[in-house]
Amino acid sequence: MRVLLVEDFEPLARSIAQGLREAGYAVDAAADGEEALALGETNSYDAILLDLMIPKVDGAAVLSRLRRAGSTAAIVILTARDQVSDRVAGLDLGADDYMTKPFAFDELLARLRSVIRRRYGASNNLVEVGDLEVDTAGRIVRRAGLKIALSAREYALLEYLAMRRGQVVTRSEIHQHVYDFAAEPASNVVDVYVGYLRKKIDDGHAVQLLRTHRGLGYSLGEIE
Amino acid sequence: MRSLRFRLTAAVLGVLIVVLATFSLVVHGVLGRALLRQLDHRLADNAAAVAGMAEDEAGGPEFEYMSLPEFERAIRPGYYQAWVDGATVLARSPSLAGRDLGRLVAEASAPAFADVTLPDGRVGRALQIRQPLRIEDPPSVQGRVSKRLVTVVVAQGTEDVRETLAVMSRWLWGLALLAFVVASAAAFGIVSRALAPTRALANEIERHDEGQLGRPLPTADLPDEIDPVVRKLNELLARLGESFARERRFTADVSHELRTPLAALRTTLEVAASKDRDAPAYRAAIIEASALVGQMQALVLNLLMLARLDARQVEVQTTEVRLRPFVDEVWRAFEERAASRQLTFANEIGEAATAVTDAEKLRIVVANLLSNAADYTAERGAIVVRGGSGEVLLEVMDSGPPIPEDVLPRIFDRFSRGDASRSGGLHCGVGLALVRGLCDVLGLSASAENAADGMVRFRIARA
Repeated sequence: MRVLLVEDFEPLARSIAQGLREAGYAVDAAADGEEALALGETNSYDAILLDLMIPKVDGAAVLSRLRRAGSTAAIVILTARDQVSDRVAGLDLGADDYMTKPFAFDELLARLRSVIRRRYGASNNLVEVGDLEVDTAGRIVRRAGLKIALSAREYALLEYLAMRRGQVVTRSEIHQHVYDFAAEPASNVVDVYVGYLRKKIDDGHAVQLLRTHRGLGYSLGEIE
Repeated sequence: MRSLRFRLTAAVLGVLIVVLATFSLVVHGVLGRALLRQLDHRLADNAAAVAGMAEDEAGGPEFEYMSLPEFERAIRPGYYQAWVDGATVLARSPSLAGRDLGRLVAEASAPAFADVTLPDGRVGRALQIRQPLRIEDPPSVQGRVSKRLVTVVVAQGTEDVRETLAVMSRWLWGLALLAFVVASAAAFGIVSRALAPTRALANEIERHDEGQLGRPLPTADLPDEIDPVVRKLNELLARLGESFARERRFTADVSHELRTPLAALRTTLEVAASKDRDAPAYRAAIIEASALVGQMQALVLNLLMLARLDARQVEVQTTEVRLRPFVDEVWRAFEERAASRQLTFANEIGEAATAVTDAEKLRIVVANLLSNAADYTAERGAIVVRGGSGEVLLEVMDSGPPIPEDVLPRIFDRFSRGDASRSGGLHCGVGLALVRGLCDVLGLSASAENAADGMVRFRIARA
């Protein structure tokens, strides 16, 4: 899952970015409104964490401009303003959630999962594809009841494919949404990790869940 | 009773009582005198009539009595008696029935009136006249005046006068009382109505809670006497509202300024603790956290000092400060930060420059200015400190970027940051507010300008 973090206080931005990366998110950081708009309008994010009091273009303007530009990213406002009127204004502008600083980092992660889940139309943290279960809260994967150990990148890839189960996902979409692949020098990095993942979840099972669509991309589960 | 309504009503009624009483007394007196004069006229007529009945005949004085019912009736009769030559009784009214009506003391030729007690004990009034006897016909001698004198005393009771006066008195006092009652009610009502705006005003003020302080009281339809009070009150309300709003803004800003570094501190610690790490990773997190704590500490100390300034709890203890080493010492805290941003620092204050001031307060002032310079000056820029001569205590200059012109006039205001978003640390609009507050206490003035040579100059001068 790819997240845009918009926060101008550098120590806070640094620690949130670190925590998100460690939780398996691909994180882009913006320190002001202009940067946030530039990134938000060119990339497709699953979620945007948005501080309201940021330089150049303020957070509320960023929010409404992104929404007007058709961004469907789940947007969570992160701000030190704690007045009810601020919350209402933020939510009315098109934010999906609102968190007041300071916050518990675990709660931030939980809310992020929740808004992303809603974005992909799931109602709980357990995504089932055939007999494959992906628990996005605990980051636990089971096939036919047996736990499968995945690396961070493998898990991030699987989670994205699971969110978009039944659809063909292109390589560039995976590049966009999944952990740091864009930063990898090797051009076939997606294929390599798909290979690793297939080995772990499909080997020894009669039904192959992870399929390659030549020239198109990959899919998890039956195409709808 | 301290109510204005009571006082006004009482005052009006007091005046009314005096006026009514005076009016009644005057009317009573004037009417009494008129009635008495009327009685006197009647006495004079009667006396003339009685005197006219006495004639000087050839055979001596004769009294030719003609019936006068007034002197014959049994109830409240009048009396007269006539004497000739001041001694001989010529005639008595039938009502005297032989008794004597005393002559009045005055024995002058002029008619004399007197209040007397009548023979039957009634209170009365008497007139005594003395005139020559009339000489009877023949007509040839008409107009001739007798040499003999007749003295007549006529007396009548004054009951009629007194009774009329009493009736009139009762009417007067009755009417006065009625007027008093009606006027009381009217005065109370009118005063109440006249004072209604004050009651409305009180209600309006009662409805003003602190959330509506800025809302003025309505001044429409106010009487001229209350209008200036309400206007002054509105001015006061406006000032109070402003200060409350400022206070609220300040609290909100303080909350914002503390929440952001607190969030960073908490996230840093929680992320660091979220999994097992190697020692350098922990160390990095701890360094980050302690830097955040340092920033918050500076912010909290600044806020505390600002609060003390507000509460006027700051004492000034002056000593002689040698400015050059003083600035060098304060600068040491920012050396590292400046070095990381490749800023040069020059202390150009003369060796001999001194100032007599409170060193601790001046340290906060200088630290805030140097900290600002270290953080705001563009990389590879220069910071220069001058001063120690004339009115200028010291100047902190940096190579910019310049302060935006719209920010410059309110740069020393609380939370008026160059950039609304700037959060954390010292540059949250507290530092410069504190600089100005402390300068006020120290008898100094603080100013900021974008100098013509492209430098940003903060000047601390002797006020």
